Amino acid sequence: MKRDLRGVAGLPAVALVLVAGVLGVQVAAGGGSFEPLKPADACAERVVTTQSEGIEGLTERLVLIGINEAACTLGLSREALTLELAQPGERTDEEIDALREGLKSAVRQLEEDGELPPPSELVNEALDTSDMNGFQKAAIRAIPDAMIDASLDTDDILLRAIDDLDLRDLLANLDNEDDLNKQIQDAVTQAVKDSLLDRLSDLL
Amino acid sequence: MRRAVGPLLAVTVALVLADSAIVTLALPDILQHLDTSVAQVAWVLISFNLVLGLVAVPTAVVFHRAQPRILGAIGIAVFAAASAWCAVAQSIEILNAARCLQALGGALALVGCLELLIDVYGERRGLAAWITAGVVGTAAGPVAGGLLTQAISWQAIFVVQVPFAVLAVPAALAVRDVPNVPELPPEADDPDDGEPAQQGPARHRPAIRHNLTLALLSAALTAALFLLVLLLVDGWRHSPATAAVTVSVVALAALAARPLARLLDPSPEVEVAVGSFLVAGGLVGLALLPSAELAWTIAPQALVGLGLGLTVDQLTAQAMHLRLPRVEHAAWTIGARHLGVVLGLAILTPIFVSDLQDAQVPAQEAITSLVLDAPLTAQDKVALAKALGDELKNQQGEVPDLHSAFVAADLPADARPAAAELERALNDQLERAATRAFRDSFLVGAGLALLALLAMVAPRRRSSPEDS
Repeated sequence: MKRDLRGVAGLPAVALVLVAGVLGVQVAAGGGSFEPLKPADACAERVVTTQSEGIEGLTERLVLIGINEAACTLGLSREALTLELAQPGERTDEEIDALREGLKSAVRQLEEDGELPPPSELVNEALDTSDMNGFQKAAIRAIPDAMIDASLDTDDILLRAIDDLDLRDLLANLDNEDDLNKQIQDAVTQAVKDSLLDRLSDLL
Repeated sequence: MRRAVGPLLAVTVALVLADSAIVTLALPDILQHLDTSVAQVAWVLISFNLVLGLVAVPTAVVFHRAQPRILGAIGIAVFAAASAWCAVAQSIEILNAARCLQALGGALALVGCLELLIDVYGERRGLAAWITAGVVGTAAGPVAGGLLTQAISWQAIFVVQVPFAVLAVPAALAVRDVPNVPELPPEADDPDDGEPAQQGPARHRPAIRHNLTLALLSAALTAALFLLVLLLVDGWRHSPATAAVTVSVVALAALAARPLARLLDPSPEVEVAVGSFLVAGGLVGLALLPSAELAWTIAPQALVGLGLGLTVDQLTAQAMHLRLPRVEHAAWTIGARHLGVVLGLAILTPIFVSDLQDAQVPAQEAITSLVLDAPLTAQDKVALAKALGDELKNQQGEVPDLHSAFVAADLPADARPAAAELERALNDQLERAATRAFRDSFLVGAGLALLALLAMVAPRRRSSPEDS
């Protein structure tokens, strides 16, 4: 006995409608794109914010912009470079150079945007955590902020500090927070001294 | 007792075929309890299907003249003893050996139960009971296994099978002796292509097209059931019970397939072709999930379940239709189904293992991005990054549990709301990465279902012009 149209086409038609309906709804709801966040282009401009204040906040912003710039130079994403730097092992000269240039570029960017704090603010905060003796700290604190701000430039101090930093050693000690802080503090203190000396020699 | 014989034998058939996938949801627990590797624990699944697939036909050929009641009773007893052995296994090697013995007993039991069910219910109903029990067992296996693992332990999966099987032994022996299978006259034609059956005792060639389709569909259904439970438990971190309840959609939809087919009355070929298409569509749906919400898996699973209900019993019936010895052709369907499962695991396992490894880098980058941009202080970010790094190192090869990293980071009270938000975002990224990692495997599964569709609709070879 011949089957009627329902017998020949009924089930295929129902199946087509069901499959098309399910897949259509899923694709419309973003079915093809439920994937992990893709890293942004490191060479695109990135707005960097921080919840920290003072030197910590400034350092965070410099590091975030610096890594972004370095990743752009190296042709990587910011995330890939961060994960790479978090791994133990020797850093290449290319990575160190890119990172140093990235940090310096970050200083210049914040300076252009007028977002660097005055040097007196940096000096005061650095003194709070410094291991200088009380007499030295009191002597420096006695210098008026206006005089410090007139004598020093924040960007100059930071650029000198970045040049002084042994980035290879710093990256090898990322797990040791005390050692990390000490290296940065030493570099900043040295940069302040050098900047002051240069300023004095200019004046003389 | 007489009334319980048929149901007990049908339950035995369902149990043997459920064992094909019943341990899927228990694999993580077995891995942990027996302190073994992922590769070895996969053999708990593979060994049973491989042995059952390989021994089904030889068992039927060798024993088809034996008394089914004796054959069935011995098979069920071996199956019960091996199930108990599985439950007490203290090493992966012992468990895999017990699973092989379970499959051996299962093959004898399936072959014996077919003739016994026909004897109890008659030709048509007995065959239908044997086939339906197999479909129900296949669809319900992962559900039962997941619930038992969650409620009691993985050993409970095997323990609960013992009493049913023990009761089925006297049930098999209670069936009266049945005469041996009839022989066809020499001129009897092959039901598929009209070629004469071989001379002597009735012996038709196996239905290659139907068995091949069955094997390909089994491979595709493995993708649906095996991969989905892995995604739910290991990828989305749901409990085995939640996963079991979720995949019960497949079994429920399979039950709805028969009324639908009755309503629309398609030809058997159309029914199988449409069923294969539905399985393929469901697998594509599972490959295109828009989020990690369980609700999104329901509709694709329903498609797979409908496809399962339309195909497996129809193909099994068609592969056995008018073919003798009946028990041998039943064994061919068992062999095709279980070797299809092994084929599916062999094709899909390397794909999703590789994809899961590949998913680690995008997941780590997404996590890094969110941590770097999180509204936390620099110190909190550093503390969290260290804890997350340790967690990721400890859970290499598995989807990590990030919550313990957030606890270990010991963040100050004012940072906790932002940290909780970040934890949610990171878990979302992990779910995205895991879901993405399973996509290719589901699509390959859909490809296998489409191959089954092609195998079914491909033009038939005709042996002579008279047959056309």
